[in-house]
Amino acid sequence: MSSPVSVQLDMQAFCEETQLPVAYVIEIVEHGILEPLGRSPEAWRFGNDAAGIARRAVKLHRELELEWEGVALALDLLEEVQLLRAENQMLRQRLGRFVHE
Amino acid sequence: MDFKDYYKILGVEPTADDKTIKAAYRKLARKYHPDVSKEKDAESKFKDASEAYEALKSADKRAEYDDLRKYGQHGQPFQGPPGWQGRGGFGGGGADTGDFSDFFSSIFGSRGNGFGGGQPGRSAGRRGQDVELELPIFLEESLSNESKKVSFQIPQHNAAGQHVSNTSKSLNVKIPAGVTDGERIRLKGQGAPGVGGGANGDLYLTIRFAPHPKFDVEGENLIITLPLAPWELALGAEIAVPTLTGKINLKVPAGSQNGQRMRAKGHGLLNKAGERGYLFVQLKAVMPRQNDDAVKALWQELAKKAAFDPREQWSS
Repeated sequence: MSSPVSVQLDMQAFCEETQLPVAYVIEIVEHGILEPLGRSPEAWRFGNDAAGIARRAVKLHRELELEWEGVALALDLLEEVQLLRAENQMLRQRLGRFVHE
Repeated sequence: MDFKDYYKILGVEPTADDKTIKAAYRKLARKYHPDVSKEKDAESKFKDASEAYEALKSADKRAEYDDLRKYGQHGQPFQGPPGWQGRGGFGGGGADTGDFSDFFSSIFGSRGNGFGGGQPGRSAGRRGQDVELELPIFLEESLSNESKKVSFQIPQHNAAGQHVSNTSKSLNVKIPAGVTDGERIRLKGQGAPGVGGGANGDLYLTIRFAPHPKFDVEGENLIITLPLAPWELALGAEIAVPTLTGKINLKVPAGSQNGQRMRAKGHGLLNKAGERGYLFVQLKAVMPRQNDDAVKALWQELAKKAAFDPREQWSS
């Protein structure tokens, strides 16, 4: 049986996990794309979702040649789109229960 | 191995200048980037566009490709001109763009995988890829610790970092009680195997609640739509309302309105604190489909006696 784990990775572990150079991770945090616990890079602790977000950010940065500001904006907007889609789907489902054919 | 017409893939003329090619690529890349696009073939279209751009962006490669293009047609098997061997094996351009097609590597040589180069403090070998999956679960399954069988494909890479095949894997995964829609679960080491002594990748599951025939989800609360006859709304009624796990008896007070919500504490979803949210019961008036003469007469009598104007607000 595989059980989910909750993790708090420090900088070195996080870099190994994501295979990203430290400079990239600092860049990503400085643009507010990731918000680790802790004040300085030595004290940073990254949670469960961080690796996925970082990888996504780096992919957008490289593959769409976006600046980090652009990546941060794109990720925010993508998140909002996802929330709106979910809300829209939920409202449609609700509406469907009230509309008669 | 089929020939790929990179101009066709980018939607540009073979005479297009660098700027046009770049613009066409960027547009396609934005449109089909797997992190951005919702289209189902997005990933392969994005790969095609990246590959096409990689081949056409530098003058050298483009010239090489243009020479070969005389001997091939898009989607047709390609063998190249007589005596042509291509570059086949290793030692290609050193670009950093994942797996391209056999066609591409036969011309330009194969390439390393995504992030090459020395990472500080890393041992030899490369960590396996993470695998991301969506895991649909029923609302009922979010209430207790459930074990679910998950089957998925794991990409296999060779020592050069090229994607060679997929293998299937099955796992029994414990879904913790109180999971929410969209929550990500990480299973360490259950992704693709590492190469050359590198660690295994992880498996990430994104929980998706399957739509329920009766209940809608609003945060930790559930909503059920309760159909009522007009006289049940008018006179009140006691109704057995289904919950996720059983039934409750609900008293609908006399004079209730269509669309009004009632709530039952502790019959919603489980939250992270281990408590259950509300079940909202939303009232919905339903008219009988057919009325015989006797019933019609009663409605007419009601219409006369009730003296009710539902559009009072309009008459100002």
